[in-house]
Amino acid sequence: MDKFFEDWRRPILGSLAIICFFLAWEAILTWGIPLNKFIISKPSLIFAGLFQDMNSGLLWRDLLISGRPLVFGYVAAVLVGIPLGVVMGWRVRVGYSLDPLLTAFYASPLVAVAPLVIIYFGVGVAGKATLIFILCVFPFIFNSFAGVRSVDLLLINAVRSFGGREWDLYRIVIVPTILPFVVAGARFAIGRGLIAVLVGEFFAASEGVGYRIAFYSDMYVLDRMFGYILVIMVIAVAFTEGIRWAERTAFPWRVGM
Amino acid sequence: MTAGYIQAKNVNLTFTPPNRAPVTALQEFDVAVAEREFVSIVGPSGCGKSTFLNVLLGLVKPDSGEMSIHGKRVAGPGRDRAMVFQEFGLLPWRTVEDNIGLGPELQGIPKKQRRERGRHFIDMVGLSGFEHHFPHELSGGMKQRVGIARALVSDPDVLLMDEPFAALDAQTRDIMQAELLRIWQEAKKTVLFVTHQIEEAVYLSDRVIIMTKRPGRTKSILKIPLARPRGYEMRVTPEFNELKLRIWNELKDEIDSQGGPVRD
Ligand SMILES: Nc1ncnc2c1ncn2[C@@H]1O[C@H](COP(=O)(O)OP(=O)(O)OP(=O)(O)O)[C@@H](O)[C@H]1O
Ligand SMILES: [Mg+2]
Repeated sequence: MDKFFEDWRRPILGSLAIICFFLAWEAILTWGIPLNKFIISKPSLIFAGLFQDMNSGLLWRDLLISGRPLVFGYVAAVLVGIPLGVVMGWRVRVGYSLDPLLTAFYASPLVAVAPLVIIYFGVGVAGKATLIFILCVFPFIFNSFAGVRSVDLLLINAVRSFGGREWDLYRIVIVPTILPFVVAGARFAIGRGLIAVLVGEFFAASEGVGYRIAFYSDMYVLDRMFGYILVIMVIAVAFTEGIRWAERTAFPWRVGM
Repeated sequence: MTAGYIQAKNVNLTFTPPNRAPVTALQEFDVAVAEREFVSIVGPSGCGKSTFLNVLLGLVKPDSGEMSIHGKRVAGPGRDRAMVFQEFGLLPWRTVEDNIGLGPELQGIPKKQRRERGRHFIDMVGLSGFEHHFPHELSGGMKQRVGIARALVSDPDVLLMDEPFAALDAQTRDIMQAELLRIWQEAKKTVLFVTHQIEEAVYLSDRVIIMTKRPGRTKSILKIPLARPRGYEMRVTPEFNELKLRIWNELKDEIDSQGGPVRD
């Protein structure tokens, strides 16, 4: 029993906190404060509403609609962000030139330009994917950048001394060094990507998770709105934990992760 | 000095780190090593020993100077040389086996053969059972032995060894010294060996080069006329101790004027 608890301590304690949170929420609105459906909802109603949206197929359709631009935007962020970050790290002059500019963009509230992006690229997949790309690309750039900067020159020298060429240096030293950095960036980018989907759909859409949340909110159907938010939270956690798990299994040489 | 198998002449190298004072590591440094000779280099810490090995390995370009190995100018790294690095330089994401296989892998030798060749050297350095461990799971001495096996497995003509036994305990060090002498004699290699241990230098070498403090130049060269094969008992003979004392005295002058510690 002790051993069992030891091994599963993290998930058990984590789930317990979540369950307590929902129970407390339910209890307060059942026996504490009277429930005003226009400003708040409670877990029992939320889950009931969520099941209705699942059964009608509405939820799945919205997820599909929102998922497509997320995949496009995210993949584009990977494809652009990693090479750009690597070049910035490896070629000092490129790094010095681009670093301040990109840092400024990264620090600015990029969601604020969402309406413009939608105007430029339209309300369809293209506009949403672009917005997602803009928000997701920075963690990939800066993490690959930091990864390349942390490459151990002794390892580069060792591989070169045994006859390694440029390509071997990438394969044997640089890629394995930056991989953990990139994965950490990927975890961070997921959160930003989900925000971008929602924001994109708040502004202009007739379907999708973000649209539905805005719609339910406008209609004061708060239990349904919270149901959708819950789904997004679950997706975010699933992705984050999935990437974490991949990190642990893929990088066994990293101590204490 | 006649043209050697390894020949370095008038090597100069000054490091100019950004925002820091330049450091002259090597000044008019000369070395000539005969084929199949075992030469040690001793000198105060920071006098440029590692720097010189890196230059000879072809990793660092000197500001001036001529270097050749077997008549061929050193222009970059080559398969005729392999280095045991002072700070190991093992790939953290590779197991012991795959770290040792680095040289053969870069030579295009198939995986199965690499493993077989590696196995022999893993046994030799006493790491059997640790083939699938990662460097962070090894002690300092074990990492050092991986570095030694990695250099030996690619079967270079010239072995450059930068304090290869520094992290080993006394017994393992004795075993590794004997192994190194055996390989050196059997496989007909030329060895350039950096050490801080005077006793080790005398025991292993045909000649010992004593370097000045930085900027490193050759202070003197001492022939070690002891017969081979050398056994452990030789280390307590008067001749042996006489040679040790001579090196110690030469080094002491350098280190005294620098204010650093002396070890024997
Ligand atoms: N990449 C570098 N950049 C700047 N200075 C360097 C660099 N590498 C070495 N040096 C300097 O060159 C000098 C010689 O260094 P080196 O590593 O060759 O010494 P060493 O003789 O091997 O010393 P030790 O016995 O302590 O290993 C030192 O003063 C060191 O600070
Ligand atoms: Mg050194």
